[in-house]
Amino acid sequence: MLSLRNMMRTNLPKYRWMLIWMSMAILPLSATAQQIEFKRDIAPILERHCWDCHNAESHEGELRLDTLGGMLEGGGSGIAAIIPGKPEQSYLIDVISHLDPDLKMPPEQEKIPAMEIELLKRWIKEGAVWPGQQIIATDIQSDHWAFQPIKRSQVPSFKNAENPIDAFLLASLKRQGLQFSKPAKPEDLIRRVSIVLTGLMPTPEQTAHFLTAWNQDAKQAYTNLVNQLMNSPHFGERWAQHWLDVIRWAETNGSEANLYRKNAWVYRDYVVRAFNDDKPYNQFVREQIAGDSLGSGEATGFLVSGPHVPAATVGREPEAIRQARADRMDEVIQTVGASVMGVTIGCARCHNHKFDPISLKDYYALTAIFQDVEFGGREPEFASDHPRQRRGEDLLAQINELRKQLLAYGGWEEDWGAYRELHFPAVKTKAIRIRFKTVYVGLDELEVFGPDNLRRNLALAQSGTKLSGFPEAGIENRNPLHRVTDGEYGTMAWRARVAKEADQYPFIQLDFENPRLVDRLRLSSNREYYYDTDYLEKMPTLPRYEFDMDYQKEDGTWQPWVGTWYVNKKLNQEHPDRQKTLSVIQNLITRFFEEGPQPSFVGRFVDPQVTHVLLRGSPESPRDEVYPAGLALFDGEDLGLTSETPGADRRLAFANWITHEQTPLTARVMVNRIWHHIFGTGIVATTGDFGSAGAMPSHPELLDWLSAEFMNPSEHTKAKNWSMHHMIRMMVMSKAFRQASTPNPKGLSRDSNARLLWRFPPKRVEAEVIRDSILLASGNLDQQIGGRSYRIHNEKKTYAQWEVIDNHGPHTWRRMLYQERMRRVDDGIFTAFDFPDCGQVRAKRPVSTTPLQALNLLNSPFVVEQTKMIAQRALAQTKNDQQAAIEYCFTLILGRKPDSEEITACLPIAKQGDLAFICRALINSNEFAFLP
Amino acid sequence: MSNPENVTRLGQRLLDRRNFLGTAGLSASGLALTSILSAEGLLADTPQTAGGKQPIRPAIDPHNPYAERKSHFEVPAKQVLVIYLPGAISHVDTFDYKPALIKLHGQKPPNLPKVTFEGPSGNIAKPFWDFRPHGETGKMVSALLPNLAKQVDEFCFIHSMTTDTSAHPQGENFMNTGFTMEGFPSFGSWVTYALGTEAHDLPAFVAINDPRGLARSGKNNFGNGFLPAAFQGTDFNAKNPPNNLHRPKSISENADQGTLELLKRLNARHLRKYPNDANLAGRIASYELAGRMQMSVPEIMDLSDETAATLTAYGVEGGSELRGQYAQNCILARRLLEKGVRVVQLFNGSDPSGGNGVTNWDSHSNILNTHAMQAEIMDQPTAALLADLKQRGMLESTLVVFATEFGRMPFLQSNGTGRDHNPNAFTCFLAGAGVKHGFSFGESDEFGFKAAVNKTSAYDFNATLLHLMGLDHERLTFYHNGLERRLTNVHGHVISDVIA
Repeated sequence: MLSLRNMMRTNLPKYRWMLIWMSMAILPLSATAQQIEFKRDIAPILERHCWDCHNAESHEGELRLDTLGGMLEGGGSGIAAIIPGKPEQSYLIDVISHLDPDLKMPPEQEKIPAMEIELLKRWIKEGAVWPGQQIIATDIQSDHWAFQPIKRSQVPSFKNAENPIDAFLLASLKRQGLQFSKPAKPEDLIRRVSIVLTGLMPTPEQTAHFLTAWNQDAKQAYTNLVNQLMNSPHFGERWAQHWLDVIRWAETNGSEANLYRKNAWVYRDYVVRAFNDDKPYNQFVREQIAGDSLGSGEATGFLVSGPHVPAATVGREPEAIRQARADRMDEVIQTVGASVMGVTIGCARCHNHKFDPISLKDYYALTAIFQDVEFGGREPEFASDHPRQRRGEDLLAQINELRKQLLAYGGWEEDWGAYRELHFPAVKTKAIRIRFKTVYVGLDELEVFGPDNLRRNLALAQSGTKLSGFPEAGIENRNPLHRVTDGEYGTMAWRARVAKEADQYPFIQLDFENPRLVDRLRLSSNREYYYDTDYLEKMPTLPRYEFDMDYQKEDGTWQPWVGTWYVNKKLNQEHPDRQKTLSVIQNLITRFFEEGPQPSFVGRFVDPQVTHVLLRGSPESPRDEVYPAGLALFDGEDLGLTSETPGADRRLAFANWITHEQTPLTARVMVNRIWHHIFGTGIVATTGDFGSAGAMPSHPELLDWLSAEFMNPSEHTKAKNWSMHHMIRMMVMSKAFRQASTPNPKGLSRDSNARLLWRFPPKRVEAEVIRDSILLASGNLDQQIGGRSYRIHNEKKTYAQWEVIDNHGPHTWRRMLYQERMRRVDDGIFTAFDFPDCGQVRAKRPVSTTPLQALNLLNSPFVVEQTKMIAQRALAQTKNDQQAAIEYCFTLILGRKPDSEEITACLPIAKQGDLAFICRALINSNEFAFLP
Repeated sequence: MSNPENVTRLGQRLLDRRNFLGTAGLSASGLALTSILSAEGLLADTPQTAGGKQPIRPAIDPHNPYAERKSHFEVPAKQVLVIYLPGAISHVDTFDYKPALIKLHGQKPPNLPKVTFEGPSGNIAKPFWDFRPHGETGKMVSALLPNLAKQVDEFCFIHSMTTDTSAHPQGENFMNTGFTMEGFPSFGSWVTYALGTEAHDLPAFVAINDPRGLARSGKNNFGNGFLPAAFQGTDFNAKNPPNNLHRPKSISENADQGTLELLKRLNARHLRKYPNDANLAGRIASYELAGRMQMSVPEIMDLSDETAATLTAYGVEGGSELRGQYAQNCILARRLLEKGVRVVQLFNGSDPSGGNGVTNWDSHSNILNTHAMQAEIMDQPTAALLADLKQRGMLESTLVVFATEFGRMPFLQSNGTGRDHNPNAFTCFLAGAGVKHGFSFGESDEFGFKAAVNKTSAYDFNATLLHLMGLDHERLTFYHNGLERRLTNVHGHVISDVIA
C-alpha cells in the first residue's frame, strides 16, 4: 500500500522555503570565526543523534532530517525544523535544547553535548549550507479527485434523455442492468416537489388544480408547478433552512449563559432573500465573508454563526483568554471550511492534516484572514441605497441640525442605549479630568471624541493617551481602571466604590500625547450586552453617574468645563425651551434604532493582530509569523496580503480567491449540497468533506458536468453564472426526480440504497416540514416572511437555562424557520426529530427514530390543538357531513382521498368521538412523515 | 437503509466495482457490508482514525436502534451509573487529604499563581472539615461526607485528575463529551450507540437531572451531539416524567386506542407500497416502544412499593426538601438499573440561577456553608444508593462513576471565604464492576494544587470508562465532518492500574 504519509510529504509546499534559503545563502559570512563546514562539523552530529529515526525509510513524526528539504519542511507538527539564519526560531534547536517541555530530542536520552548544539546553531545562523542539496521549487500537487480542476464532462448520449442529468444517471444504471422506475403518480409528485422546493406540502386546492392540468398536458403542468414553487417566497425559507443547518447558525451563544444574540435574525432574512432572489452563489459567498465591504453588512452573520464563550465566563487567567480567542477563530474556520470549501481544515489546527494536503501553516494563514472578526454585534453596513442606510443617514442629519441649536446653550446629554454621550463646546487641551460625585462607578469604557473625527476615540490607550485615576485597582482589586480605555466592551469593567464620607471620590484623568480638540464623552457600563444580547429578565441598565469634567489649561491648572448636573438641570432651568429640542433628538435616536441600521449580532470587527503559527495549536507556543492567505493547495498562498493589511481587505481578497473558478471545491461542494437536498444523498455522500477521508462520488462525471454548468451555464438555458435556481430547476425537472419511489426486487438487490437512482429514494421529512404542514392543514399558518423570531422561551436570568414557556400558542403559528433557534435547547416537541443542536458543524441532519418523537407527535398540546382545528375546518368545509369531512381531513393532511376500507375504519371513530382523533392518527402516520 | 458514509473510500470503490450490494429485502446494513469486506480482508489496510486504527462501528439495525449489541471485549460491567456533581466539589475538603495545608494555613502560597479564574488569590486555607481514617483501608476522608466515608473500601479513587479549562460549562463538556467545545456526543450516548440496551420498555439512556434543573452545560451533558437522536439521554427524574409521556386529559383511553388502531391500519397500508422498508418498520416499532414507555415509566417513577426502611436509608424524609427530592432520584436510578437501562446519569446540582443562588458545588465564597448545604443533599442518598446496589449484587455488573469538572484551590480567593476553580488537580472515584476496590490511584502535590503522580487527563478518564464498558476508545468511532470521531478525540490512555 502506498503510504499516505509519503504521498502527503511530496505534496507539501516547498518553493517558499527555497526562496528563504537562497536569500540566506548569499549573505556574506563572517570571516572572523572559522566557517562551519557541513560535512566536517554537522553531518556527524546528525548521523549520531538524528538520522536513525528521521531518514528516507523511517521518518518518525513524519520528519526527515537527512535532507535540507526535510528540515525546511518540518514534520507532521507543521513547524519547520530549521529556519536558516535564525537558530533562535528553529524548532530543531528548541527540542534538542529541551526548551519544549512536551518534546525532547533525542527521545529518552541525555541532552546532546552543548558544544554540538552550539555548532548546529552556528550552522543555522550561517545559512544552513548543505553542499550538494538543491531545493527544487515544487508546487503542491495532489492526485485526489476533488482537488483537480473542474472539466465539463461529455454528456452520454441517450435516447429520451433531454436532461443531461438523466443521461449520466442512465449510463451508470445501464452498467448495472438497471433503469429508471416508472414515473411517479401526479399526487405523489406534487407532494414531493412542493416539500423539496418550499418545505410545505401542497394544499388540496393546489393538488386539485395540478391534477386537472396534468390530465391536459402533464409536462406543461409540471413545468408550471416547478416555476410557481420556485417563485414562491417560501422557496427561500426552505433553502435558507438547509444553509443555516450547515453553518450551525443559532440565535444564542451556547456555553454557560447561552445568551440570546440580539437581532441575529437579520442574517437569516438575508439568506432567505438570497435564495429567493437567486443571488449568484459566488456573490452569496463573497458577501457572507466580506459583506461589510460590499454593502451587505448583515451577511457577515455567517462568520459568527458558531458558538462562543463570552468573556465573562472565560475567566481571568491570561492563558484562558488567549485559548478562548483561538477557539473562536477555530469556529470561524470551521464554518468557512465545512460550508464553502468542503474540507476539514480544523484538522490542521494542531499539526499538518493527516489525510489532506493542508498544513498547519495553511490553517494559521486562514486565521490571519479572519483576524479582525470578533463575536458580537454591530450596526451592519448597508449599500448607500439600502433603505435602512438611507433612513439612518437622514435621521442622523436631522439630529445634527438640532445639535447645532443646542450648542448655543452649552452642553447636553444623549442616551444612545449602549452609552450616554455628553456634548459640550469644543476645547483644545492636553488633559481632561472626570470627577465623579457618586460613591459607586462601573464603566466598561470611556471614550473621548473631537469634532474633527467622530471615529477616532482619543481616550484609547493605543493612541498614546495616558490614563490615571482613583481607585486604580477597583473593587476587591478585581476591576482595574485600565479597562475603561482598553477598547473592550462588556463585563470587563472598571468598578470603583468609596465610602460616602471618603475624602477622595472616584476620578479618571486622561493625558493626551498632544493637545486635542475635544467636544464629547461617551460613557457606558456594559455596552456589549446592549449590542449583543436580549431577552434577559434584567437587561443591564445604563446607570447615571453624576460627574464634572475639567480640562487642563496651558499653565497646568484645571478649569471646570462641563458637568452632568449643569447640562441636565441647570441649563434646563435657565432655558426651558431647550428641553423640547432634547426630547426631539431622543425620539430621533429611538427611531434610528428602529428604522436605521440596528445593532445586530452579525460580528464586530477589531484591529487584526499579527498572526503566528501555533505549535500543537497552543496559543502559548507561537512560532513564525504568518501572512493572511488561502490554501496553498489551490494557489492561495499569495494573495498579496501582509500583517499590515486591514481586516476587511483580507477577507475581501480571500472571498475573491475562494469564489474564483480555479478553486474547484467551491462549485463542486455547492452543487453536491443541492443534489443532497433534492435526492436525499449527495453524489458525494459526505457533503462537508471532499478530502481523502470523505466518500467517493457515485457519479464523478455528472458532478463535474454540473459544477461546470453551475459556473458557466449552457447558453440555451439563459441562466446566469452561479445560479442556484438553475441547478435546482434542472434537478427537479429530471426524470430521475420524477420517477416513482416504490421499490422493486431487481433494484433492491443490485443497489439497495438507490445511490444510482433506479427509484426516487423515500426519506423522512424534517421537523420543520412536519410542523409547518400541520399548521398549513389547520389553516393557521401565518405566512409572513422574515422578521424577528417567534419566542417559545422565557426571559431568563443571565446564568440560567432557557425554559420553554409556550411552544404552541397562536404567536408560534409561523414557519418553524422563524422559531428562535437556540443552541442545545429542547423545544419540547420538534427538536426530537434530529433538529441540530447547533454546536458542531453538521453537513447534514441524521435521520433517526425515537420513541420521544412518537410521544411528542401524539400527545403534545400543539398537535392536540391543531388536530382539533383541522377537524373543525373540515366540518365547516363539508357542512358537517361526516364522511365528506373525513375525506377532507385525508386530503388536507395526506393529499389524497381515503379508500373505502379507510372510510369504514374512520366512521365509527368520527361518530363516537371526534374527527380530531382521526387527524391525530393521520399526522402520526408514516405516509405523512415520509417524502413519497 | 445503511449510511453510505459507513463505507470507507476504499470499500466504496470496491463496492462500486464489484457490485457488492447484493442483499435482498431489507437494505444491507453497515454490519453486513463491513463483515463482507473484513472477511475478504479488504478493510484490513484502510486505517481510518487519525491515530491509524481501524474503527469498529456498531451495526445499527434501523428497525431497532436500541437492540443489544456486543461490546468489543468481555467485561463484567453491563451497565453504568454516572453520578455527576456540577460546580466542582473541593477535593482538598473531601477525599484528598493534604496536611501541608494545615501547617501553612493563613500563609501566602509559595510558587502558586497570583491570579486564578476569578481573580487574585488569597492565603492557603486548611480543609474546612477535619479528616480521619475510614474503613479497613484507613482512607482519609473529611467529616463533610460521613456516609460516603463509610464505604471507602468499595471505591477506587483517582486523585490526579486534570482538565483543560477553568470554566464550568467547558469543564462539564470536557468531562461528559470529551471536548471543551459545544456539540459533541456525551459519554452516555456513545455507550448507548455502541451497546444498545437490555431494557425493552424503557429508554436506553436516562439522565436524571437535579430537582433544581439542568447543569450549566444543559443538554450537552447527555445529548447526542452529531450521533443520531436515538442515542440521546431521555431526561426525567422522580418528580417530572418525560415531555408528553401521557395521553392528554382531553383524549379518553378509548379514543386514544381508536387513534392508535387507525394509525396501525394507515401504516400497514403504506408499508404494502414499500414492502420490507426498514425505516418505515423502525418508525412503527418506535411507536410500540413509546406505548410501552407510557406504562413502564410511570411504574418506575412510582416509589410506593419501596419499603419504609429503603426510604429511610436513602433519606427521603428527615432532611432538607432538596435532599428528599435527590434521594428519590437516587431510588429512581436504582430502579432503572434494575430494569436493565444501559446508562443512568444522575446529577447533583444545577446551573447557578435558582433558589438562594447556590445550586451546585461552586463555592467561590463562604465555602463552609455552601459545601455543607450541598453535602447534606448529596451524601446520605448517594451513599445509600451505592450500598443498595452492593447489597442487591448489582455492583457486580454495574460500573459507578463519581465525577465533577475540576477541583478547588488550596488557597482562598481574595474575599477570604471561598476557593476558586482548580483545573490542575481534582478527585473522582469509580466503584463497582471491573474496578479495584479500596484503591487510590495518582497523587496531587503536597498542596493539592497540581497533579503530581500519574497525572490523569479527562481523556484518560473517559478512555478508562469506555474500557470498563468493554469498548476500545480508539476504535469506537462515528464518521462526522471528515473524521472518525471518538469520545477521546486523538488522546487518552486506559489507566490499567485501576482495573481489577
